Amino acid sequence: MSIAVTFLVNGECHTVAVEPFDTLVDVLRDKVRLTGTKKGCGVGDCGACTVLLDGKPVNSCLVLALDAADASITTIEGIAKDGELSAVQKAFISEGGTQCGYCTPGMILSATALLERKPDPTSDEIKDALAGNLCRCTGYSGIMRSVSRCSNYQSDGTCAKPSHPLPKRDKSESDYRPSSGECGSVGVSIPRVDAGDKVTGRAIYTNDIALPNTVYGKILGSPIAHGYVKKVDTSKAEALPGVLAVLTGKDVPDTMYGVSPARYDEYVLARDKVRHVGDEVAAVVAVDERTAEAALELIDVEYEELPAVLDPYEAASEGAPLLHERYKRNINTHVDQSFGDVEAGFAESYLIREETFTGNHIYQSPLEPHATIATWEHDGTLVLYTSTQVPHYVQYMMAHVLHIPLGKIRVIRPTVGGGFGGKAETTPLDLCAAIFSKKLGRPVKMVYSREEMFHHGRGRHKQHMKFKIGVDREGVIQSFASEIYLDGGAYSSFGVATAYYAGSVLPTLYRFPNYAYDGYRMMTNKPAAGAMRGHGVPQPRFAFECLLTMVADDLGIDPIEIRRRNAMTPNTMTVNEMDVGSCEFLRTLEAVNEKVDWNEKYGKLEKGKGIGIGCGGFVSGAGYCIYRGQVQLSHEKGREPFQKKSTFPHANAIVKISEDGMAAVLMIGAAEIGQGSDTVLTQMCAESLGIPSSRMRIRSEDSDISPLDLGAYSSRVTLMAGHAVSRAGVAIVEKLLPYAALLLDCDPGIIEAHNGRMFVRGDESRCVAWEEVARKYFNDNGPLVGTGAYKPPDGLGGDHKGSSVGTSPAYSFGSAVCEVSVDLETGKVAIDKFTDFHDCGTPINPMAVHGQVEGAVVMGASETILEDVQFDDKGRILNPNLHGYLMMTIKDAPEIFSGLVDSYEPRGPFGAKEIGEGSTLPVLGAVAHAIANATGVWIKDLPITPEKILRALQEKRDSPETTLADAKA
Amino acid sequence: MYMPSVEFHQATTLPEAFDLLQACGPSTRVLAGGTDLLVDLKAKRVTTDHVISITRVGELKGIALDNGSLRIGALTTITQLDESPLLEGGFDPIRDAARLMAVRQIRNVATIGGNLASAVPCADLPPILIAMNARVHIASRDGEREVPIKEFLLDVRKTALDRHDILSAITVPQPPPQFGAAYERFGLREGNAIAVAAVAAGIRLATDGTLETATIVLSAVSPIPKIALQASSIVQGQHPSDDLFARAGEAARGEADPISDIRGSASFRRDLVAVLVQRALKKAVERAGGDVL
Ligand SMILES: Cc1cc2nc3c(=O)[nH]c(=O)nc-3n(C[C@H](O)[C@H](O)[C@H](O)COP(=O)(O)OP(=O)(O)OC[C@H]3O[C@@H](n4cnc5c(N)ncnc54)[C@H](O)[C@@H]3O)c2cc1C
Ligand code: FES
Ligand code: FES
Repeated sequence: MSIAVTFLVNGECHTVAVEPFDTLVDVLRDKVRLTGTKKGCGVGDCGACTVLLDGKPVNSCLVLALDAADASITTIEGIAKDGELSAVQKAFISEGGTQCGYCTPGMILSATALLERKPDPTSDEIKDALAGNLCRCTGYSGIMRSVSRCSNYQSDGTCAKPSHPLPKRDKSESDYRPSSGECGSVGVSIPRVDAGDKVTGRAIYTNDIALPNTVYGKILGSPIAHGYVKKVDTSKAEALPGVLAVLTGKDVPDTMYGVSPARYDEYVLARDKVRHVGDEVAAVVAVDERTAEAALELIDVEYEELPAVLDPYEAASEGAPLLHERYKRNINTHVDQSFGDVEAGFAESYLIREETFTGNHIYQSPLEPHATIATWEHDGTLVLYTSTQVPHYVQYMMAHVLHIPLGKIRVIRPTVGGGFGGKAETTPLDLCAAIFSKKLGRPVKMVYSREEMFHHGRGRHKQHMKFKIGVDREGVIQSFASEIYLDGGAYSSFGVATAYYAGSVLPTLYRFPNYAYDGYRMMTNKPAAGAMRGHGVPQPRFAFECLLTMVADDLGIDPIEIRRRNAMTPNTMTVNEMDVGSCEFLRTLEAVNEKVDWNEKYGKLEKGKGIGIGCGGFVSGAGYCIYRGQVQLSHEKGREPFQKKSTFPHANAIVKISEDGMAAVLMIGAAEIGQGSDTVLTQMCAESLGIPSSRMRIRSEDSDISPLDLGAYSSRVTLMAGHAVSRAGVAIVEKLLPYAALLLDCDPGIIEAHNGRMFVRGDESRCVAWEEVARKYFNDNGPLVGTGAYKPPDGLGGDHKGSSVGTSPAYSFGSAVCEVSVDLETGKVAIDKFTDFHDCGTPINPMAVHGQVEGAVVMGASETILEDVQFDDKGRILNPNLHGYLMMTIKDAPEIFSGLVDSYEPRGPFGAKEIGEGSTLPVLGAVAHAIANATGVWIKDLPITPEKILRALQEKRDSPETTLADAKA
Repeated sequence: MYMPSVEFHQATTLPEAFDLLQACGPSTRVLAGGTDLLVDLKAKRVTTDHVISITRVGELKGIALDNGSLRIGALTTITQLDESPLLEGGFDPIRDAARLMAVRQIRNVATIGGNLASAVPCADLPPILIAMNARVHIASRDGEREVPIKEFLLDVRKTALDRHDILSAITVPQPPPQFGAAYERFGLREGNAIAVAAVAAGIRLATDGTLETATIVLSAVSPIPKIALQASSIVQGQHPSDDLFARAGEAARGEADPISDIRGSASFRRDLVAVLVQRALKKAVERAGGDVL
């Protein structure tokens, strides 16, 4: 029974009909239609739903709307006054306080409430005020900068002159060149192009879209880890008032799907078997989400339970339960690679060390849950709004499963609240929503709950690693051999590539003369593991970094020195035939060394304090597309053989100039997911057009508007899409040159376009306005459009099996130093400080680069010491929520210094390479080393929890002689 | 995750609340800040047909000093508790717990009454309130009764509240001279993490500097906060010293009754107890003006 309730929302009176069970967040979003208030968990753990209730921040998901009757509520939409942003909002724009933006409304409200209470907060007070707002993107650094900037806050939302001067940036930070947004585009830290929308609540995420006549779907997950589905009785669910349709395995196409074409092994809904807790069994669509959720409980499924296997070694053993008939002994992928002569390398080594390391189950946990809306047009076109990082692969997979041409599918990617790899594949939500929508002729919206996200999985593979290294007397690597068991979960997902990545990127950082890698991706009865930031590499990189440091200690060599001696050099073909071009790894090492005063600290710190080094690097875009052959025409196309070249351009762009020449619209399908691609692509395009970036608009969200781009994965966007947009810009300029030549009365060959003007090279006074030339072009010819495309170079990689994985036009490099304090009585670790230097080529937007590094440092540190998806012995997740799965809050995050070294990559646009994933790689090893340095014990299985530290310290006390040598010990 | 269907009632006075409690069924729940109840309802840990909001009941609000003892209305939020000038001085240790609890958004609505009535093993306020000899006031149609917190908390999620009762206030007696208390807890992360183990200590120094009385309360390591009797008696009559406190910690390690879960094993929790006992005792003695050798 609904009751009419009045609230004062942002100063306006709203009377809405409210049900007793409605929480404030749902009323604000669905009934008042203010969607700036976000939902990330529904149970008070994330702070995305923060609003001010009578001036105080509260989680609106934990307030009953009826209980808040007559209250005054401020949402993010009420912070700007008459279109004028508040000081906090402005600071979030200028200081990089927002990335994906999903946490931003809540952050800004918490910060605003703090500043109203305390106009000049200390940094501890800021942290305390924001500790309830999780952010997965920024590492909280940009947020700290933003709020600190607002000191001396006035109640009208402005700031008087700062009472204490802003911290001075030292020289290596000088690349934070503020810009008026008017001129020079590449290399300038312009604010994100979408920041204004994100700080005001105007950014529209998939779940914010309410198409008329929408109905809502939900998916039922299996309660058991392994079993046959004997019978599904949906009659009771169908009888529930409000339920419109139910789907089970027999109602969905008999087509398997997945990521790697060689291993499509998932059905939309289980047809015969379930393979993990949460495996999708049936789906319901109803008039509202609540009814759909209730209907799930009315579906009776009869299972014949099978024994489950949860450990990859057990999965490989004789007689273990088999998940899929096709994967004998549960081996999903076996990698067997050997380069050089590994045994000879060991034979020549002065020191050989073998160690075993274990990773953890990490889940990306973007703040925005996956969401989809499907609707069919009358001409049979499927329109899919989806929170994805790979619109094209979703389109491709929908075509494959639904048996319709790609051209009949329009994928719209609204604002995405973070991905990190967790949104890099087609979900059952996409598929079920499309099937339901077709059936009902209505838009269908489906959203995962936080718990369902964990059950859907696709997080980092937990890896079990046996590493063996041989070095000479000077610590130079002679041979390296690894055996890795990857815990793949129940389906392939990205796993084939993951298994190869786990081996292929290690030799791009240090020179390995001889190298063998034996990898097994095993099927287990857990949610499928997928691709996560640093795809397959962070855990082996962690293990390798630890091992290298152990070896350095064994030999009495400084850990930075041993890295110097083995560091990758520019223009080197690695032993596994990865073609490294630019490489300033050594410079990053020297830069951190100097910046942290390494020599003054290493081995000289007091008890409980530690310092550690870690390095890493990554590909700047996968050299090959995930599927083979040319763009698929239909699902019937057979599998094609691998060709050592790109068979179609991976990134494509169109630029259209407005008829008056004043605006350029860039159309590209590259997925902005918070990492900032819209901004850097805008900058590169503007640069090549020769106009200020403020004249550009980017349309990257709609496959009907933008040509194909493979999406945001493998850190490919800056390099690949960057080339495409630059080429599209150049194409326009080329069209303009003859007209400019006419107007300037000179040879077209000597004309340049820059900052909105076209002029004679060497004599800028002979110039004409860019827009005038563009207008002339239009008047004579019609539309002024340019296109650009990028294909990775042909012939990347060797000829061995799996040689394509790890290939890339370019590689990034980085070195990081972590400083920690460890409470030796409780084992608790405080990550105090991080210093990172990266070679990302030429930074297109330094602020965006630092934002990626800061985010990666906190994410990486968090996964090293806190995060782990835990399972019980029945394969049930024990912590599928954000109070059990712990990610760092602002109080846990270290102070971060992010620096860049000079570098230029000839294969990148404007000399640029990647930063998004490579920035994660040094982190885990640096943290692990710092903890070892502080405690004298190495913890080789992640996460490095206080309990593990305490146990190791106790063991060391009990038997001092068996512990490992450490600089401290 | 949605709220189940419930009937919602709002009381504005205590008598109204009692009437509603009488009229609705036995599974009825009282709603204060809702930070436990709504989560429990959404997670289906709790089921009920009726929710009675007491958030507008004036009689349950406010903090006051009465003859030196502190009366804290059940609806007092954690933020109000933390910010109240009345806590300055002797009642300061309560702030140790209030500040460590949850995060601002939660503290702004979560109430002291809810923290006690929920009776979850890791709740932050009960241990320090026990160490400070607080008492719980329970109101019903028949008037108000008063019990020490120890007797209020019966088991996990079980209290002395009858289904017609409302927890109305907590009173904390004026700390005697030379009294000091402290709360130390261990959480896995700095922000928004519940206690894996926690210890509250309340001590009183004799004029010769020895510990005249000591109450050591262990929390999150037993179904309800547990007074570590052995540990407490070890320190009684002794001069405070690190060594003494270490022995108390060792005794408390054995007295704890922890479980293993995703946050840590039972033995890890015991280790934490041993450390936290020392830290809490030390801080309590310092607050009492004593010296630790
Ligand atoms: C994200 C998050 C973090 C948290 N962190 C912490 C933490 O660090 N430490 C901690 O201790 N707790 C924590 N909690 C739990 C919770 O916030 C506290 O226990 C809080 O004090 C509960 O108070 P409330 O007013 O919200 O209770 P409610 O949820 O309203 O009520 C809780 C229970 O008590 C009953 N009740 C409430 N008031 C009365 C009354 N006056 N008379 C009779 N019965 C009553 C209700 O019926 C219900 O059963 C956290 C909760 C969340 C969601
Ligand atoms: S949605 Fe409310 S705190 Fe996460
Ligand atoms: S910007 Fe904070 S979660 Fe993405």
